[in-house]
Amino acid sequence: MNDANPFEAPPVDAPVPPPNGTRLLGNERTFWGLLIRGAFLLLVTLGIYRFWLATDVRRFLWSNTEIAGDGLEYIGTARELLLGFLIAIALLVPLNVAFFLSAFGRGWLSQISGFLALIVLALLGQFAVYRARRYRLTRTVYRGIRFHQTGSAWRYAVCAIFWWAMIGMTLGLAYPFAQASLERFKLRNTWYGDLQGHFAGSGMRLFFRGVLFWLVVIGPLTLGLFIALGQIDWTALGRGSGDMMSRVEAAGVAPALVFAVLSVGWSVLAVAVLYPAFQAMVLRWWIAGLRFGALGVASHLRTRAVYAIYLRFMWIALVAGIVFATGVAIALAITGLLALWLGKGVLTELLSTALLIGSYVIVALAYSTIYQATVKLRLWKAGFESIELSGREALDRVNASGAAGSAVGEGLADALNVGGI
Amino acid sequence: MAAAGRGIFFDGATSARHPVLVELSADGLVMRDAEERVMLARWPYNELDHLAAPEGLLRLGRAGAARTARLEVREPALIAAIDDASVPVDRSGAAERRGRLRVVAWSVVATAVLLAAAIFGVPALADKIAPLVPLRAERWLGEAVDTQARKMLDKSDASRPFACGDQEGLAALATLIGKLEAAAALPIPLDTKIVRRSEPNAVALPGGHIYVFEGLIDKSQTPDELAGVIAHEIGHVAHRDGTRSIIQSAGLSFLFGMLLGDFVGGGAVVIGARAVLQSSYSRDVEGAADRYGADLLNRAGGDVRAFGAILDRIAGAIHPGVEILRDHPDTKARVAVINSLASPGEPAQPLLEPNEWRALKRICTAR
Repeated sequence: MNDANPFEAPPVDAPVPPPNGTRLLGNERTFWGLLIRGAFLLLVTLGIYRFWLATDVRRFLWSNTEIAGDGLEYIGTARELLLGFLIAIALLVPLNVAFFLSAFGRGWLSQISGFLALIVLALLGQFAVYRARRYRLTRTVYRGIRFHQTGSAWRYAVCAIFWWAMIGMTLGLAYPFAQASLERFKLRNTWYGDLQGHFAGSGMRLFFRGVLFWLVVIGPLTLGLFIALGQIDWTALGRGSGDMMSRVEAAGVAPALVFAVLSVGWSVLAVAVLYPAFQAMVLRWWIAGLRFGALGVASHLRTRAVYAIYLRFMWIALVAGIVFATGVAIALAITGLLALWLGKGVLTELLSTALLIGSYVIVALAYSTIYQATVKLRLWKAGFESIELSGREALDRVNASGAAGSAVGEGLADALNVGGI
Repeated sequence: MAAAGRGIFFDGATSARHPVLVELSADGLVMRDAEERVMLARWPYNELDHLAAPEGLLRLGRAGAARTARLEVREPALIAAIDDASVPVDRSGAAERRGRLRVVAWSVVATAVLLAAAIFGVPALADKIAPLVPLRAERWLGEAVDTQARKMLDKSDASRPFACGDQEGLAALATLIGKLEAAAALPIPLDTKIVRRSEPNAVALPGGHIYVFEGLIDKSQTPDELAGVIAHEIGHVAHRDGTRSIIQSAGLSFLFGMLLGDFVGGGAVVIGARAVLQSSYSRDVEGAADRYGADLLNRAGGDVRAFGAILDRIAGAIHPGVEILRDHPDTKARVAVINSLASPGEPAQPLLEPNEWRALKRICTAR
């Protein structure tokens, strides 16, 4: 009789064995409320509120994520993020001034200063990505013990830049190996207390799972552009007789252009249709590769579930689009009325410019909010709820280790726009 | 009020879950092992830290502690009792909302201060810094900008070099510039070139480089008209406007690009605000250069009304576009200001002899 009563919690001194899975609790409505309030405050403070919003979002996601019966906890504060950002700005300003001055200089330094700046900022960006990860891990507590991260951020940055260059040169074919290598580096340096992580996913396996996507999306694009370039008679274009138009005609640019446009169109369409399937595949591969000591993870994420998430987003986005179209029409009408009412002048122009920019920003913020509240939250939920843990006992005997990392990395990532927040 | 209840305790040293009995003693929470009744921790009420947790769970830590020990309570009666006993534990969230409101208020103030800095602070700072930049640095900057500007403006080929000039034309130009330069007494030498561009315009770059476009020579009817526009450009050189605008744009980039605007859609705010602010700075600068030019023309013995006349002819025809994005003030207002600065009395004799003026008019078409 007692067992059948669902309203009576089981006594704590005889706990039921925690489940082998993970789940996301929490009310979606609360998350919407948090994001909408945050978007409004971002608008009013021209973005300064982002540190508080990011902290709120993380607090919500972390504390509602339950792994084997216990919840995660985010203990970072917005004040840390703000301070980290200000320190990062103080570090970046002299660097930017140096690049600015060297670009105006004479000699070899000014010739390569643009390239040099690109390399340094890319390295710094990846450095920041790694340090930001350390900040987030050391602000993550589970069962009273924090995570932490070791490893040199510069080494990670060099590896990451190398792999991105490889991805570019192989037209994306190196992506699985890059992911596997970088995840191995990250997970090897990720610790839950004294429990070391590692990554068991294989780049080769991801390659074979993903090569079909590549063949459908990038293959025709590359081939199409190649053929298009081959069709153009370059000598006729460069040194032919007559004016530019007749030379363009003689060189066969028009059919080549049609070819190029068709292949780009095909790729865009293929990406739009296949992206959720690709994302589901990579996510499944990544989750299934996570290991902490003897703790293993399997993922039952269904491709269908990811498609459902994106379709729901598109539906909500469509409805929002109709609402915003009406709003923008009203804003335009008000602008017109202002011109009639105040006459031509600086005030009218300022007001209507502010109105137009304001409506653009509101729409952009609204879509970002919708995306976060639908796609981001649901993907997080689907990912976590697809997990099945094995060797859960490894989590029961972990000793605390590692100290809190600073938030400068996050600030740097924010200032460099590499997705710190 | 429940004086005791059950919870889960994590001691912060290991990940073990300890089922505990939680007692509300006089001075704090006491956690005892549920079976062996050994005391595991005692946390004073005023040191409790109320932490983020899902609904229905109270998660507590100890404020300022080195270890991240946690107590988790699910029994509603016990949660209510702890809330009553401890000041930091506040389930209503009122303290949190107050703190949040303060943050928002400060952020709005910070935004207002930054906007004020952009509107008033940046131009004021540029005015202060520009004269302090050493002339050597400005010439060095000028060389670099000059190379860039030539790349942008130069559309010439081998048969028609970018800079115009036969011997007679160059001599006439040198006479005209010499008169103006003598009156201006600039700290750096001018480098004036007539270049093959059809627009009726002229530009001044940092370091004393002035490019007068062929189109302006064509539109000028008297030497004094041409001299007026050149005098205006000399005004930019004297006021060091090139250096100043670089400082202004760097200041705006810093304020808007780095501190503000890093949110979705913020890019539009940044671009809009920069365009409007930079145009407004530029209008002030152009007004100052007009006044300088008129003054210089007076000193060099030129006719200020001719300056007004050519401005009216070349800029008056352009239909005014969006007012707040114009980088020059309204032409009618400019002409009125310039004419008001003309010295009364007889128009002086032209700055160039008729034969010199003919040579200058032909400078790009000779040979």
